[in-house]
Amino acid sequence: MAKVKEQNLITRERLRWVYYFLPILALVIPFIVNEYILWIVNAILVYTLVTLGFNIIIGNLGQLAFANTAFFGIGAYTAAILMVYGNMPYILAIFMSAIVGGIAGFLASVAALRGIRLYYLAIITLAFGELMRWVYLHGDTVTKGSDGLKIPEEIYFLGLSLDSEVPKFFVFLLLTVLVVKVTSNLMRSKIGRAIVSIRENEATTASLGIHTAKYIILAFVWSGAIVGIAGAMFAVLTERVLPEAFGLTEVIIHFGMVLIGGTGSIVGSVIGAITLTTLPEYFRQFPGMDELFFGIIIVLILLFLPKGLVSLLWRISPAFKERYYRD
Amino acid sequence: MDPLLKLQNVSVNFSGLKALNNVTFNAFSGEVRAVIGPNGAGKTTLFNAISGYVPSTSGSISFNGEPINGLAPHDISIKGVRRTFQTGGLFPEMTALENILAGLHVEIKAGFLDIILGLPEAREAERKAIVRAKKLLNLMDLASVAEQPVKDLSGGQQRMVEIVRTLATEPPLLLLDEPVVGLSPPMRDRMMEIIRRLAGEEGIGILLIEHVIDLVMSGSDKIIVLSSGELIAEGTPAEVRQDREVLEAYLGHA
Repeated sequence: MAKVKEQNLITRERLRWVYYFLPILALVIPFIVNEYILWIVNAILVYTLVTLGFNIIIGNLGQLAFANTAFFGIGAYTAAILMVYGNMPYILAIFMSAIVGGIAGFLASVAALRGIRLYYLAIITLAFGELMRWVYLHGDTVTKGSDGLKIPEEIYFLGLSLDSEVPKFFVFLLLTVLVVKVTSNLMRSKIGRAIVSIRENEATTASLGIHTAKYIILAFVWSGAIVGIAGAMFAVLTERVLPEAFGLTEVIIHFGMVLIGGTGSIVGSVIGAITLTTLPEYFRQFPGMDELFFGIIIVLILLFLPKGLVSLLWRISPAFKERYYRD
Repeated sequence: MDPLLKLQNVSVNFSGLKALNNVTFNAFSGEVRAVIGPNGAGKTTLFNAISGYVPSTSGSISFNGEPINGLAPHDISIKGVRRTFQTGGLFPEMTALENILAGLHVEIKAGFLDIILGLPEAREAERKAIVRAKKLLNLMDLASVAEQPVKDLSGGQQRMVEIVRTLATEPPLLLLDEPVVGLSPPMRDRMMEIIRRLAGEEGIGILLIEHVIDLVMSGSDKIIVLSSGELIAEGTPAEVRQDREVLEAYLGHA
C-alpha cells in the first residue's frame, strides 16, 4: 500500500492540504475577474451543491431518481417566499430551504422505499418535478406565476449586503465549502458506506445488520436539503425565481453535470458543475451553433471517459480516488 | 446444552409450492452442521427463512431462545445470525477494506452530528474499526489487497473477504451458502480448515450448504439432508452415509 503511494508525488496527505487550500486561494477571484465572470463563478458554486446533492442519489445510492430540480425549485421558492412575504433574514431562509428541501427529499424517498426502481422511479420523480412546476405556475398569488417572484432589493447575510456579485461570492463560497465538507465527512463514514452498499447490493447490505430503508431515506433527505440550499443561493443569484428555471431541460443539465464530472465522486461533482456551467457561457460567442458544440462535447466526454472527467485525475494519481472511510 | 438455533415445523410456501415443509432441527454452538440435498431441495430457502429473507408460512424459528421469525433481515443479523450468499454477496466497487468496514457497521458507535462535524468520538470509532478490519484482513492473508476493489480480486480472495466481512462482528451463528464453490482444491481445504477452526476454537455455530460430498463428510459434525423441501435425515456423517433414504434421494443409488 505505502509503496504505490511513494512512487507518486501526489499523496493523499498532500492532496488533503490542497483541498483545504483551494477555497482560500479562491478568495482572490473577486479581485482579478470582472462582474460577469464572477457571476459565472457564483453560478458554479450554486451548481456544485446542485450536483453534489444529485450525485448522492445517482452515484452513491445508485437510484434513478430525478427529483433534483424539484428540490432545487422548492429551495429557491422557499427562500424567496420567506424573504418577500416574511421579511426573513437570508441566513434563516437558507436554513428553511434546507429543511423544506429535506422534506421534499423524504417524499421522494417514499417511492424508492415502496420498491419502485429504475425507469419507474425515474418517471415518478420526473413527474414530481413537473408537478412542482405546475404549482409554481398556478400558485400565482404567492409565486407570481410565470412572471416569477422577485426577491427583495436589499438582502443581508449576517450584516453583509448582497448588492453585487462580490459579497454574493463570499457568502456562496462559505456555504459551498461548508456543505461540501460535511457531506465529505458523511460519505467517508459508516453512513456513506451504508449508502454505497445499498447501491452495490441491497439484499446483502441488510445481512450486515444495516437498516437499508433508514439509509435510503437519509440519502434522499440529505440530497434534498443540499439542493434546497443551492436553491436558496440560486434565488439570490438570479434575483427572480421563475418556474421555467426548474423544467425538464434543467434536469438534463443536472444529470449531465453528475455524469460528466463522475458519479459517486465529490471532486467529480465540482468538476461537472464547473464544466457544464462554463461551457454554455463560452459557446455563446457562436450563436446558433452553441447548443451543437455543447452537445458534441457532452457526447465525446461520455464516450471516451464513461467514468467522467474525474477519471482523468485518477490516471495522474490514485490518491484522487475517493474512499469510503476516514483514517 | 441449549440449542443455539431451533427450528420447529418450519414451512415456506411460494404460491402453493412447498419450498420447505415442516422442517424441524436444532443447531448448536461450536458445531459445523452441513445442509445437503439435491438442487431444488430447499437449502437456500432454509437459509433465507432463518435470516429473514423469505417469510416462513408456519412454524417457529428461535435463536438463543428468542423467536426470530417475522423479523427483518437486518434485525436478525444484529441479533447474531449472519450469513453469506451463494453468489454476488460482495460490494464489487468497494475495496476489500471497505467491504469489511461495512460488515462492522453495527459496531461503529458514532452519531450523525458527530460524523458530519468530524468530531473526535466519531473519528475514534472509525479509526478503531479500520484497525480491526485491517487486522482481520491480515489474519486471512488479504492485507496486500485491502485497498483494491473486490471485483479485481480472485474468486478465492473474494470468498475470503465475504467470510471475513460476515465474521467481523463475531456472530454466534454463521450461515455459509456454498463457501467453497469456485475454489481450487487446495483453497477448498484451507477454507474448510478455517471453518472447522471457527467452530472448534471460537465456538461459533455454523450451518453450511455444500455440494462437495467429501468435504461434507470430513468437515462437518452433523449433517441434515433436505429433499423436496423436507428434512429426510439428520445425523453424523457416518450415520447419514448409511441412510437408505438419503442414498436414494441424494447420492443417486439404492
